Amino acid sequence: MRLKHPKFLCFKDKAGSFSFILASISIIILFLIIVFVLNEGIPAFIELGFSNFLFGHRWSPYYGDFGAFPLLYGSILIVLGSLAISVPLGVFTAIFLAEYSPRWLSNILKPVIELLAAIPSIIYGFFGFMFLAPKIMEFLDVSMGKVALTASIILSMMTVPTIVSISSEVIASVPKEYRKASLALGATKWQTIKSMVLPAAKPGVIASLLLAFGRAIGETVAVLMVCGCVPQIPSPPWNYLEPVHTLTAAIALDMGEVSWGSLHYHVLFGLGAILLVITFIVNMIADFFIKKAPRGVQI
Amino acid sequence: MGKAGILTVAIVTFIIGLFSGSFALAPLLSANRGSTYAYSEDSLWRTDSIRVVGSTTVLPIANACALRFTELYNTTNIIIEGGGSGRGYSELIGGLCDIADASREPKQSELENAKQNGVTLILHEIAIDGIAIIVHPSVTQNLNGPLNLTLEEIGKIFAGVYSKWSEVREGLPDKEIVVFVREHGSGTRATFEEFCMEPFGLKVKTGASEVPSNPAMRQSVEQTPYSIGYVGLGFLSGNVEAVHVAEQSSGPFYAPTYENVKDGVYPLSRYLYMVTDGIPESGSLTDRFIDFVKSPEGQRIVEQCGYIAIYPKE
Amino acid sequence: MKTVKEKTVLFLLAFSAAILLLAFVAITLFIGVRGLSAINFRMITTSIRKGGIFEPIIGTLYLLAGTIAIATPLGLATAIYLAEYAPKGKINRIIVQALNNLAGVPSIIFGLFGYAFFCRFLGLGISLLSGWLTLTCMTLPIIVRGSQEALKMVPKDFRIAAEALGTPKWKTIKDIVLPTATPGLATSIILGISRVAGETAAILFTCSVVLTKSLPTSPLHPVMVLTYHLYTLLVASPGTSMDRAFAIALILLGLVILLNLLAYLIRMRYRRRWKW
Repeated sequence: MRLKHPKFLCFKDKAGSFSFILASISIIILFLIIVFVLNEGIPAFIELGFSNFLFGHRWSPYYGDFGAFPLLYGSILIVLGSLAISVPLGVFTAIFLAEYSPRWLSNILKPVIELLAAIPSIIYGFFGFMFLAPKIMEFLDVSMGKVALTASIILSMMTVPTIVSISSEVIASVPKEYRKASLALGATKWQTIKSMVLPAAKPGVIASLLLAFGRAIGETVAVLMVCGCVPQIPSPPWNYLEPVHTLTAAIALDMGEVSWGSLHYHVLFGLGAILLVITFIVNMIADFFIKKAPRGVQI
Repeated sequence: MGKAGILTVAIVTFIIGLFSGSFALAPLLSANRGSTYAYSEDSLWRTDSIRVVGSTTVLPIANACALRFTELYNTTNIIIEGGGSGRGYSELIGGLCDIADASREPKQSELENAKQNGVTLILHEIAIDGIAIIVHPSVTQNLNGPLNLTLEEIGKIFAGVYSKWSEVREGLPDKEIVVFVREHGSGTRATFEEFCMEPFGLKVKTGASEVPSNPAMRQSVEQTPYSIGYVGLGFLSGNVEAVHVAEQSSGPFYAPTYENVKDGVYPLSRYLYMVTDGIPESGSLTDRFIDFVKSPEGQRIVEQCGYIAIYPKE
Repeated sequence: MKTVKEKTVLFLLAFSAAILLLAFVAITLFIGVRGLSAINFRMITTSIRKGGIFEPIIGTLYLLAGTIAIATPLGLATAIYLAEYAPKGKINRIIVQALNNLAGVPSIIFGLFGYAFFCRFLGLGISLLSGWLTLTCMTLPIIVRGSQEALKMVPKDFRIAAEALGTPKWKTIKDIVLPTATPGLATSIILGISRVAGETAAILFTCSVVLTKSLPTSPLHPVMVLTYHLYTLLVASPGTSMDRAFAIALILLGLVILLNLLAYLIRMRYRRRWKW
């Protein structure tokens, strides 16, 4: 009678078990991140009260006001703004790449889009702060150039590549038969795309949007330099021409000067915890949609 | 494995080698080609290294003094950083730095934190500074003279009691006031609030934009029409207008000049400090550096930076 | 009627693509034009105390070198384990899921975690070592993902043939699978470097300082880094030393573009050759 070991523990050579140990480090890291951020953040929630912290309307660490709502609102406002720009831009470009673009053009566009994704965020911040913000102040006649709109534009530049690369792959992997059948029935190319290819690709495209959302909401340095850092909900609430503040920018700005163990310190980790929860949820939903996407998609 | 594979491996190895090569090359290229003779045991401070962190108001002084000090004793290493008085106190209490630059005294929470961590904060006064209230030139363009404000009026502007310049005084533009303040740990902010906000029970309005340093504040006010902010004396520039301040509305109103601060008539003045954990050990690098800042040469540097010296300059 | 609509649609789509190209050109020109005029050999080799940017450049190289040194073996081992030893099964899915989640964690959270865990809990303080470990956590998902792909693309037949000849598994991996997958592995490492080369938020309070006279002589020293230096120049003292700022931005941009182009070329070249 043989003892049953779990399959993954049966290695025929030591190298296997060795790499297993190393591989599990990834899980350990993730676990540690969650543990530490929550551990340092929970005291803030306890001391301030969960709803006071999360929904408090005044963020003014100088006076001991730690209401995170303006920060949360600011983060979501600029991310939604960036999606409003990057979704049409990204999806259209993806369709163009997958269906219309000639080979030589694709060979230029694809690396350029990858490079857009790879450019460090501080360079985007630099560009926004020195070039875009003054231009917005000039052309839209606002008192400050660092407003929600600027942040949304910069964020959209940073997240469009995510949408384009995933969506174009998803669209390209819709089976050829769909298109051939549609064309054979007399539909034009665009009608085919609109009615056959896109609906089939929808889960993948939605996943790419969610991933872009997750990326944008976690962006720190670029946003910090262009959002204006005013922890206030604009009036009216959809006014993109006023400065805002975000969760990420607040953490980055204040972290350098908090005393370890003080309430402010825990509050920053609390903001981090909120951020972590949001990104996890978004990634989980994106995963769900990826699984429904046509085969052959790698993120 | 084929030529292409070899090529790839070569490229990767090259990249990795380039990085690792810098480990070997860098010390050779480094600027630190100092003396090579051995020191006796009690000159340990000569090869020591200290870290000075904190107020951006004190930063120019710390920087210039460190440069001069390390010129004189070129095997010492003095690391300087800004971040605001709050950061300075935080790092000093946390044991991450040797000297904290501060443009304010410690807050209650910082004193408690220090006690908890067994740290005694000793403040060494190194200079006197004034806080200038600055506005963008567009605010005063129609005035014939300087903008005269009392401490309370300044407080009300920052608190948002006045939302437009025209509400403050006749002759000022009918435009929204854009308010800039410093980050929460800033010593400059603390002094400002101590004089202009707290006595009147005011709080800065939520629509104020926070900037993280004196230079950032100056640039923000320089570039934003109808804006107001505050900076240390050493950061005034020709592109902003300084407000003349009085304690009462009957005046007299004083400009933030060197003489007015030195004579004690300008209302918004304060000490600048270097803070240590306990009294620095005699003869250590920390002790010698602070002594240098207080020395005539150091105090001349203080004045060059635009601040007022406390100790004799000769 | 139909052709007009088709043409409009085509125009709209092409226009979107053109906007992206324009964005890229705008940024490159913005940095490149002023950066190229600001940068020169003297600036790169002069110490920062005299207006140059020597120490941050070396500091960045130190930081990247250490990160690669730690992350590459770790990442490769993980990828090998996932692709060779347990390609199916529960533990595989858990690790892959963990890596996917890790990839989605915002960089500032890595900064917070790095500070709380490496700097404080493990007592490493603000040091090169903390920076290495934090950045390793960030770059791990990229290296593992890319390496996993590369290993998967090696045809099964290779392994089966080797097994049929009696080769032990690790030897198969070492002598047959790895060499074949090298281009893909190299690509994933290069992309991993590119990700952390421009990273600011994670090193903000884990390893980087504004000013230190000498280069770090041990991993427990803090280090000056190009990205953090640029951040300080722009956020804390804007308006001054714009030349230096543009020069640093140019170096960063150039580094990232170079790395990505290299990875892209490697990938393009091998995609065509692998037609087994």
